[in-house]
Amino acid sequence: MKTDDRFRRLFRHGILEVILVVLCIVLAFTASGFLTPDNLLNVLRNVSMQGVIAFGMTMVIIAGEIDLSVGSAVAFAGCLTAFLTQKLSGEWIALPLPLAIAVSIIITLAVGYTIGLFTGLMRTRYQVPSFITTLALMTGLSGAAELITNGFPLTPFPGWYNYIGGGYLVGIPFPALIFLLTFGLLQVLMNYTSFGRSVYAVGGNAEAARLSGINVPRVKSRVLGITALLAALSGVMVSSEIMSGTPTTAKGWELDVIAAVIIGGTSLMGGVGRIWGTMIGVIFLGVIMNGMTLLNVSEYWQHVVRGAIILVAVLLNLLQKENRTT
Amino acid sequence: MTTPPHSLQTISLRKEYPGTVALNDVSVTFSGGKIHALIGKNGAGKSTLVKIIAVATRPTSGTLLIDGNPVALRSPHDALQRGIIAVHQELSLVPELTVAENILLGRLPEKRLFGQSVIDWNAVFTRADEILQSLDVHIDVHAPAGTLGVAQQQSVEIAKAMSYNPSILILDEPTSALAQHETERLFSLLKTLSARGVVLLYITHRLQELKEIADTVTALRNGLLVGTIDITEATPSAIVQMMFGETIQRSRPLDLAAPIEPFLEVRSFSRKGLFHDVNFQLKKGEILGIAGLLGSGRTELLRALFGADPADSGEIIMEGRHIRPEHPQQMRDLGVAFTPENRKDQGLVQLLSTRVNLCLASLQRIATHGFLTADREHQIVQNNVRDLDITVADTDAPVTYLSGGNQQKVVVGKWLNTNPRLVLLDEPTRGIDVQAKQQMFQIIWDMSRRGISCIVVSSELEELLDICHRILIMRQGRIVDDVRPGEISLEHLFAACMKEDA
Repeated sequence: MKTDDRFRRLFRHGILEVILVVLCIVLAFTASGFLTPDNLLNVLRNVSMQGVIAFGMTMVIIAGEIDLSVGSAVAFAGCLTAFLTQKLSGEWIALPLPLAIAVSIIITLAVGYTIGLFTGLMRTRYQVPSFITTLALMTGLSGAAELITNGFPLTPFPGWYNYIGGGYLVGIPFPALIFLLTFGLLQVLMNYTSFGRSVYAVGGNAEAARLSGINVPRVKSRVLGITALLAALSGVMVSSEIMSGTPTTAKGWELDVIAAVIIGGTSLMGGVGRIWGTMIGVIFLGVIMNGMTLLNVSEYWQHVVRGAIILVAVLLNLLQKENRTT
Repeated sequence: MTTPPHSLQTISLRKEYPGTVALNDVSVTFSGGKIHALIGKNGAGKSTLVKIIAVATRPTSGTLLIDGNPVALRSPHDALQRGIIAVHQELSLVPELTVAENILLGRLPEKRLFGQSVIDWNAVFTRADEILQSLDVHIDVHAPAGTLGVAQQQSVEIAKAMSYNPSILILDEPTSALAQHETERLFSLLKTLSARGVVLLYITHRLQELKEIADTVTALRNGLLVGTIDITEATPSAIVQMMFGETIQRSRPLDLAAPIEPFLEVRSFSRKGLFHDVNFQLKKGEILGIAGLLGSGRTELLRALFGADPADSGEIIMEGRHIRPEHPQQMRDLGVAFTPENRKDQGLVQLLSTRVNLCLASLQRIATHGFLTADREHQIVQNNVRDLDITVADTDAPVTYLSGGNQQKVVVGKWLNTNPRLVLLDEPTRGIDVQAKQQMFQIIWDMSRRGISCIVVSSELEELLDICHRILIMRQGRIVDDVRPGEISLEHLFAACMKEDA
């Protein structure tokens, strides 16, 4: 009876973790080369660029909002970094290249945060749903990326710039470290700070939060700002990986990111969700894609499977919730 | 129209909800051709009785007889088919649709066109118009319902009910949103219906209406049927007696001395259409009640004092500081707390745990440099649970699982953690059981002893008499009187709230 109870609890609260472990065990036996350190680190590297954004998106969705512009923001940020580097290392002023790159990255991140604040302002001051503003930004930022690059990749970066998106530190891919660091920071922010608590309250019941003296507009704006900042960071990482500012990168990322968040158990209704769940969701998708590639499953099938996973994961979450309330 | 009068009878109706009996052995008969007023306080069981008759809920035991025959109705739809219609206080019209569509919603007449059935719009408008004409109501059936005034919407609502050809019509506080002349129109409409043999059940809080409209008065109290009297016997004191029973001021503690140290003054506080030129003073540790009917502006006043809604003019002077309430955060930081009327939707975040809700208003105080520590939170939560006697199995489980009384204690606890100096309580005892009510009183008295001033809005007048040092009477957005519990009887307080300005 006791083990039965324990199993049931595990099933209820950690079903996704269980499935992930089972999946890894199955792949370890069926896909040759899956269970090697190189491959696993590769999985981590592959998910890190989208994963960084997914943690921010988790906060946004918990706060009852959405950000559809993250994919375009990644492309725009990569292009902006390249554009600024080009201008600052010769065309406008001639800064030394490392300094020009550093300044460009900082400006890009600041611009990212500002874009998020803009979405928040539209939401809280003018009641424009974040769905609409970020849908507009999705197109607008994509166009802006094309504008500053004239539609062609900009390549002002020196060889060492590749380190951010492609390098290794103590044997671990550098982007994976950024990914893990982001996870750690947001995990602490959401679970151990008054700000994180406010995010849950605002998403769970904005009016009750307001009547408790929580500054709802500020919370929403900051959350949207942080997520846009993380999208910009991801854009910098991508530009480093591909060594250029390319306006056509990261198309459709917003949906992959939202999918990972939802698989991780975050409710689109707001108020419910965990950064840890998103971690699992991100890794889950990464492992599935990696496994299917190793098993030579066609890319078309991979898309179909991914779609099915999203649906099944949400269904499982809902069933769990039903179980818990009865 | 001359159909034989209908009748409605209940035999030993009983309805239990977890932890409470909402209706206990109620046997009553309502005959057609008469208008029956149903009165009782909040929680007396009126709405439960209505729900059972309209089959919105099923009784735990007991029988319903219509026209002398027992009926087994399984759904609200069955009830509609049987001609049982309830018109609720909140209107249920679809504002974008026309009056005609609203009246015939779900039963729009159809015709065949090229072998398909399509809506016969001519028939829709003609039929709707006929129904309105038969009620002697003149409203354009093509107008979107949302463009009508409340009184006209009410008429449409009744026309909609009439289109079902009702044998039993229940109206839940239909006049609460109506002006005097509109009320008169409604009454003449109801008398027309009554003359057709329809059983009319009329729920109201406006006791002065009874003489005008009702033929009999039936009262419920604490889920029990008190009795039915003829309107000729319904004197104000008989009605109060039926509604409240023998009231004794049982629990008021003796050490609740009237405070003398001034604390706060509200000056010419106004919000257009809701409350006007409100002035009063409050002492440190004083418990001030605000008595008034629904729509008297009491809730709106309280919300504006907290900055939850904006006031147009006026100010608060708190210990010499002039304050214009602008938003809740500002008022909270000044030491003001507010427990809203609707604790489920506004007081608590239902998805979140008891612990999180208890800490929600005082995050800044609890956190050090923005970081929360489990130990400190745990300690605060334990103190709240102990001091307020909150019955909770797991403080980390969603607060939604707690009973109404315990949820209310969580709301109060949330605010006590902010260390407030003024607590605004809107209907603090609504929907909670007797024991929890007593505990709420104790909590309020304790706050008073600690020097926290309280303003309590409540429809439960006898509770105000019990709890407060002083009571303001509010009518149509104005404070019209200022009384002390020892100097006024429940009956007089009730009459003072009811009085219509001529």
